[in-house]
Amino acid sequence: MPKHYRPAGKKKEGNAARYMTRSQALKHLQVNLNLFRRLCIVKGIFPREPKKKVKGNHHTYYHVKDIAFLMHEPLLEKFREIKTYQKKVKKAKAKKNEELARLLLTRQPTYKLDRLIRERYPTFIDALRDLDDCLTMVHLFAVLPASDRENLEVKRVHNCRRLTHEWQAYISRCHALRKVFVSVKGIYYQAELEGQKITWLTPHAIQQVFTNDVDFGVLLTFLEFYETLLAFINFKLYHSLNVKYPPILDSRLEALAADLYALSRYIDASSRGMAVEPKVDASSSSQSNDREESELRLAQLQHQLPSSEPGALMHLVADNNKEVEEDEETRVCKSLFKDLKFFLSREVPRESLLFVLPAFGGMVSWEGEGAPFKEDDESITHHIIDKPSAGHVYLSRVYVQPQWIYDCVNARIILPTEKYLVGRIPPPHLSPFVDNEAEGYVPDYAETIKRLQAAARNEVLPLPGVGKEDLEDPQNLLYAGVMSRAEEAEAAKNKKKMAAQEKQYHEELKMEITASKDVVAPMVTEDEESVPDAMQIAQENADMSTVLMSRKKRKLYEAMKIGQKKKKASVELIEQRKKKLNDAQS
Amino acid sequence: MGKKSKTSRKGKKAWRANISTEDIEDFFEKTTKDALSGGNLSGAPSEDLFHVDKSHDLPVRRKIEKHRERVLRVDSILKKNPFVQLVPSSKPKLKKSKKTIVIEEKTPKQVQKNVGDDSVMVDLWGDDVKGEDESNPRKIFKKPSIIPAVEIEHPGCSYNPTTESHQDMLAEAVAQEMQKVYKTELGPAPVPLTIEGDSLSEDERYFLDVDNFGEGEDNVLKKNPFVQLVPSSKPNLKTIVIEDKTPRQAQKSVGDDSVMVDLLGDDSKEDLRYFLEVGNVGEGEDNEDVENEVSEAGNIFARKTKRVTRVELNKRCRQKALRKKVTKEKAKEKILNEIDSLPNILEEIAREDEDKQNKHLRRVIAKEEVLKIRPPRLGKYKFEAPPVQVLLTEEMTGSLRKLKACCTLARDRFKSLEKRGILVPSKQIRRF
Repeated sequence: MPKHYRPAGKKKEGNAARYMTRSQALKHLQVNLNLFRRLCIVKGIFPREPKKKVKGNHHTYYHVKDIAFLMHEPLLEKFREIKTYQKKVKKAKAKKNEELARLLLTRQPTYKLDRLIRERYPTFIDALRDLDDCLTMVHLFAVLPASDRENLEVKRVHNCRRLTHEWQAYISRCHALRKVFVSVKGIYYQAELEGQKITWLTPHAIQQVFTNDVDFGVLLTFLEFYETLLAFINFKLYHSLNVKYPPILDSRLEALAADLYALSRYIDASSRGMAVEPKVDASSSSQSNDREESELRLAQLQHQLPSSEPGALMHLVADNNKEVEEDEETRVCKSLFKDLKFFLSREVPRESLLFVLPAFGGMVSWEGEGAPFKEDDESITHHIIDKPSAGHVYLSRVYVQPQWIYDCVNARIILPTEKYLVGRIPPPHLSPFVDNEAEGYVPDYAETIKRLQAAARNEVLPLPGVGKEDLEDPQNLLYAGVMSRAEEAEAAKNKKKMAAQEKQYHEELKMEITASKDVVAPMVTEDEESVPDAMQIAQENADMSTVLMSRKKRKLYEAMKIGQKKKKASVELIEQRKKKLNDAQS
Repeated sequence: MGKKSKTSRKGKKAWRANISTEDIEDFFEKTTKDALSGGNLSGAPSEDLFHVDKSHDLPVRRKIEKHRERVLRVDSILKKNPFVQLVPSSKPKLKKSKKTIVIEEKTPKQVQKNVGDDSVMVDLWGDDVKGEDESNPRKIFKKPSIIPAVEIEHPGCSYNPTTESHQDMLAEAVAQEMQKVYKTELGPAPVPLTIEGDSLSEDERYFLDVDNFGEGEDNVLKKNPFVQLVPSSKPNLKTIVIEDKTPRQAQKSVGDDSVMVDLLGDDSKEDLRYFLEVGNVGEGEDNEDVENEVSEAGNIFARKTKRVTRVELNKRCRQKALRKKVTKEKAKEKILNEIDSLPNILEEIAREDEDKQNKHLRRVIAKEEVLKIRPPRLGKYKFEAPPVQVLLTEEMTGSLRKLKACCTLARDRFKSLEKRGILVPSKQIRRF
């Protein structure tokens, strides 16, 4: 009977048995470091931190089960195959057999990551949750210049660009965009899909630079995985709109780098022409014929389309497709820029605005070929410009800076354009991701915006029987934040003052009647006495309630008060600074 | 142990003795037995010997299964009471149902091999059945960190921020820079790779050599009786040798005088040798002292200690007993004291426990808080936060066109991956 024994050096239990270092993992899997890195990235395996690092603090530890999981991955075999194949190619080249090398390169084995995506994200919602990083990475690579040194090919960059445009077209079409924030790093967008908030960052239209401290090989592996993921997600999303994916775009528009516009037209066209297409498919047998015919159809449809009028098309689309459920927010966003026509000047961030404006229901055009309408169109309501002074000014339109659009989008109302006119420094661009009430400090411009929002809401929803004051009161409460004891005291003080003033008035009346003036002096002192009284009353009230509480609750209450005090102190600090700045400026 | 020892077969006697005839004897025994019992077994037809068992008996159970079915004594006792619900303490392993169905479903989803045909894409989540893979928790991937993938920046990083938030962000950026500055300033001075020094010329080296035998250093060395200054043959090297006096031993005789003489004698023999006296050893001292001193000088003599008298021994015993008694009494008193102050001790213990618990809690919370900011230490190098991207006051123009945007967004993505613990931070310089 063979005795069951443990091989020398293998631990039985504990942290030593559960975690292994990177070198041990490499030996176990029999791969080299690059391959191991790629596998980990693609499989989603990351190093852990055990409580006790058996081999030292300077090693990277992986869980034994993760490594065992890697070992059973068929992609590992595929990678090894590719490696051996490349050895063959290298051998052929070394033997000066160019013909063979070329032949071999054409039949190189490839791999696909579809199965891994299905494994890592079993449901669509899981994939949506992980979409942040994916989108940011793909958007980044869409603007990077191709480089031989980093093994970044032109084809790859174009693919990324295409994917980003498809995603943006979908979000525009479904009006899923909610927040935009322009920062130094780039432009942050937040959209909401199926209850998931997806945030991503897009770089500015500036030439990106390859830095020394970034390992681009690793980033490229991530990109590979994320490209596939985004392609599948786009497919699913377009599928839900009954639009064929991958989209076949008008080549003329593509050449003019107006991809987004072309895509939006494609979506609108294909969703309108869906009823017609199946007939075409059924008639012809071969696939290539099919495609040509459908392409022709599409091109016809697109020419038939009136120039970019998403407003009009919306009704048509709603008839043909299944009803796209719209919730309150989507409706608000859809109608934000309704009936407004925008024209973008050349120096304005075109791609970003071409994405944002249709997402909120507006119609856009720009300078250049293939644009829906020209600069001298009469019905343009707003001309977006970023120069210090506008050249030729049309009187029928407003010339604004691009920040106006972003601020309107964040506030969900059309803000007054006076502050954003050409040549002025616009008011500060606030971040929509910050909850002002929670911070306790509301910047001035935010308050202005709030008042405007309240005003807009008043006009839009006239409340019967409810006066304007009631609407203002909750707003006031919001402004004030938490009701504190000091405010109570103030309120009491005010009341007392009012009472005192009334009294004084009566007294004065009496005075006039009796014509004696000595009564005035004691009134004043009484007032002063009543003020501390108010404070005392407030204090007494507070004491009463604290006495009734249990010790635990009292301690909690005191802790809460300390927290509030800290917040107030920081807010006061900010206000003092503001005062100082104002004084310094004036 | 079981093998038969190979004995030699030389010689007639040996030959006879060493051949075993066991097999012949066995054969004879067997045949006689068969004859007596009624036939050879191998000759018998198989039907007589075997028959196929068609009964449905219980199969032989594996030892492990038998073991598992055994009920613990505890459980058997509990079972006797009908009102007690049994919770069996030994649970047999649940068989994990193999999901072969899932694998079969996956194959039609594979995209076709021809790379150029992009139109053949399948909806990966098309026939999504909810909760399909819940039984296989390995497939549900956990996120490595609670830090979100895309972190929104502070409002002060806006391209046109409010003054207050901008000041806040500037303060943070300045703090980051100042930390670096302080680290270099206040830390220990780094060890320099090279030190500036003048090279010595040969003449100077000679002077240095001479210096050793000059007056200054000598006095210090003279005080130590065992140090002998020896210039070696090479002018560059100086050696200070501490010699043991072994070469002297050979010439040593019992009396001290001769020792002295020898030592002095050696001295006179060689040039440039400073020899330091051992110490004034007078002639009138005890033999023992001289011997002790001589032994101090390093000689290994058999040490003769003083003879211990009975008086001395008794004294020692008495003192030892006394000491024992004192320590015992002290220990007893201590225990009594401790018993008296027992409630105090209990209080102290309770306080210490509470302190420990609080400390532990604080540490756990601190660790969790830290995890929200940076990743745990995963490798050799620490994670270094990227610099805050904020506009300087002079760069703030409020115009989108003139914005000096960040052109190293790749670094931001890379650092985000490191921060979440997916990548391990590695060497600073990556390429050249």
